[in-house]
Amino acid sequence: MADHHAGPSGFARERRTIAFAWIALLLLMLTSLGSAYARLGPWNMVAGLVIAGIKAGIVAWLFMRLREAGVLIRLAAVAGLGAWCILLVLSGVDYATRTLTPADVQRPQQLPPVHGAASQPH
Amino acid sequence: MSGATLAHPSVDEKQEPETGKLGMWVFLASEVLFFGGLFVAYLVGRVRFPAGWAEGSRHTDVLLGTVNTAVLLTSSAAVALAVACEEDGHARRWKARLLSLTAALGTVFLLLKGLEWHDEWREHLLPGPDFALHVAGAQQFFALYFLVTGLHGVHMVCGIVALSLLARGRARARPWAGARELEVAALYWHFVDVVWIFLYPLLYLVDRHG
Amino acid sequence: MTTDALPGSYLDDGLTLRSWLTTTDHKRIAILYALSITAFFFVGGAAATIIRMELATPAGDLVSNDAYDKLFTAHGVIMVWLFLIPSIPSVLGNFLLPLMLGARDLAFPRLNLLSWYLYMAGGLITLEALLLGGVDTGWTFYTPYSTMFSNTYVVLTLVGVFVTGFSSILTGLNFIVTIHTLRAPAMGWFKLPLFAWAMYATSLILVLATPVLAVTTLLVAAERLFQIGIFDPAYGGDPLLFQHLFWFYSHPAVYIMVLPAMGVVSEIIPCFARRPVFGYDTMAYAILAIASVGFLVWGHHMFVSGQSLAASMTFSLLSFLVAIPSAIKVFNWTATLYKGSIRFDAPMLYALGFVGLFTIGGLTGLFLASLALDVHLTDTYFVVAHFHYIMVGGSVMAYFGGLHFWWPKATGRLYPEVWARIAAVLVFVGFNLTFFPQFILGMEGMPRRYHAYPPQFQVLNLFSSTGAGVLAIGYLMPLVYFAWSLGRGKAAGDNPFGAKGLEWQARSPPPTHNFDAPPVVPARVYDYQADEPRPEAVR
Repeated sequence: MADHHAGPSGFARERRTIAFAWIALLLLMLTSLGSAYARLGPWNMVAGLVIAGIKAGIVAWLFMRLREAGVLIRLAAVAGLGAWCILLVLSGVDYATRTLTPADVQRPQQLPPVHGAASQPH
Repeated sequence: MSGATLAHPSVDEKQEPETGKLGMWVFLASEVLFFGGLFVAYLVGRVRFPAGWAEGSRHTDVLLGTVNTAVLLTSSAAVALAVACEEDGHARRWKARLLSLTAALGTVFLLLKGLEWHDEWREHLLPGPDFALHVAGAQQFFALYFLVTGLHGVHMVCGIVALSLLARGRARARPWAGARELEVAALYWHFVDVVWIFLYPLLYLVDRHG
Repeated sequence: MTTDALPGSYLDDGLTLRSWLTTTDHKRIAILYALSITAFFFVGGAAATIIRMELATPAGDLVSNDAYDKLFTAHGVIMVWLFLIPSIPSVLGNFLLPLMLGARDLAFPRLNLLSWYLYMAGGLITLEALLLGGVDTGWTFYTPYSTMFSNTYVVLTLVGVFVTGFSSILTGLNFIVTIHTLRAPAMGWFKLPLFAWAMYATSLILVLATPVLAVTTLLVAAERLFQIGIFDPAYGGDPLLFQHLFWFYSHPAVYIMVLPAMGVVSEIIPCFARRPVFGYDTMAYAILAIASVGFLVWGHHMFVSGQSLAASMTFSLLSFLVAIPSAIKVFNWTATLYKGSIRFDAPMLYALGFVGLFTIGGLTGLFLASLALDVHLTDTYFVVAHFHYIMVGGSVMAYFGGLHFWWPKATGRLYPEVWARIAAVLVFVGFNLTFFPQFILGMEGMPRRYHAYPPQFQVLNLFSSTGAGVLAIGYLMPLVYFAWSLGRGKAAGDNPFGAKGLEWQARSPPPTHNFDAPPVVPARVYDYQADEPRPEAVR
């Protein structure tokens, strides 16, 4: 355990940090909620994700103690995100550059289920 | 959490993290990819069906969703406090109570979620032949909504069970309910919270002003 | 084998079935895996046998269309998920990793046992789906066929795959933490055997790629059960979303299958050439490079699927890049042999076979990575030949090589060398006879997954089916002589091959706690000297 946690004053500090983090998280949540009611167009999603990112950062840095973790743990924390970014970015290349030419039968619409689930093997 | 008896200590004990913590972080990395696949499916749909996603999101219960988010954030603070209690001799007796509080908040979350789902079922928002919304993509939005909140809920259940067991074990001073085990369980709980932190804007706040 | 003073081996430590089924000893868990994957291997092999029998004649006359679809699906599902993925990591990795590190067990021994139970559960569920009637989608489960039209046990099979996936993730997790935290004090990263490096890189892939497969199986099941529409064009869904998610896992999966094989080969070649590995550092970096760049190339499975041209070109370029570290490894193995004192023991035959066959497989991968060529070659037997050269000519041969190399350590017995060499040669000949003609068939246009074909393809198909028969003999022989050696094989001694590596400092077979005294980490890894006296060739 890192030394600055030890002892009653360390605990008091830790308690304060958690309290502030908690309040910050709730305030950010309300900001996110509020921003959703503002007409920001595509920036609504950006705002929502940025605020979520900050909240996640607070939880990861302070609650999950990445602040005092070693390089290895931090790498582990980031590795999943890195791999996910690869999935997003490279499939995004496809989605960004693929031209869709829907045929009549494929125009998006609500259709009834294609086949019933009742008597078929699953 | 480690059952291995080391033949000898690791290379540099000060630098090497505890085995259990490292193991949990590696597991959480895998969980990022698990939920991440669903996030990709969500993003693809959102780009394709902005109207459908917006329509779907408007039909989620933003009040319950916001309350639930607050509940979960509070539960994270509670378990973080429980972990911090280890540092202080006086505060240690609070650990078990804080763990129970966290588990209780988690249960509240699930109950509210269940309420939401019940309402959505009543309003014919379950994907299927009587799906109520007729904007293209809205059904897929809800399909992903139920899938991802369902999976999140399963993770919550695991977390609640783990924390409840630890709370009970701590109260009875069991050896398997020590500081290390708690820290590892707390990491898992925080992660489940982080997933929800992202789900909140993505599911509830797509187009509230439409 | 045992003296009065020393305790017995891990094999003597509990003789009941219960002691085996509740063990947390990594060596026993490795044996459990070995037995189960062998059983699945022969089930998958049985499917292959019927396939090759069918393909001996142009008419689709042995089995119906539907049955044939179910056969190649069963073959793929079983061989990929229930045999290849767990083979080297869960058998050899489990047994050897703690020994190679000088540790007593893995970081999480009970999690290790859970991994095996999850594997068995997933495997049995998959087997059940097979027995109930099978699945006909191909192991790749492409949508919308798998989600909308297939009338077979898709969901059940996917549940099996889902469960087995968690076995993989937990094993990977265990290995990563073990390598970080349980190395002997003197064993820095650049003194790790390359097998350990390979296990590490493989574990990274297991942990990061498998979860995407897991969630993809859930999506397919949800689509199939509830018609949610995300893969269905009629609902505006995207069938390619499935393919992106599926191949994001399944391409790195092939590196899960080949990196451990490379690790095994890097242990065998130095030993039987009596030379340290050429370019050890580069070999380690190449392993990491293969694992990382391997995450960037999955779209090369989707060139003709409707993916955008820009994405295809990106993936094509990246796929060329991933060949580079693999090629570096082939050059380094070859350089290791140079001026070595080479002896062709069975493990060495398998290892050398790996190098040659993996090279062919890898080069033909470059053909497929070229967009224009792939348009012609995709979904033909060229692809089938390519991946069998890597998976079978590569991974399976390395697995067999490793089994032979470490058999004396694990069992304390020597396998019969002459029979082992004969089997190795039969495998090599049979393999090439089976799969080389398939390159030609593919170039000539024979599509894969068809059981009826135009008569002009029959000659090559006959070669292929004959080769499969020879291959089968080569695979069955070790079953017989390994079993024989358990009862009648000569005692092995601690280091019959004069190999370096901490595992050889333990007894053969090791006691449960692995080392009677802390093992000595040598100053240099692979410290083979050509002039050093070596043990006589085992017989």
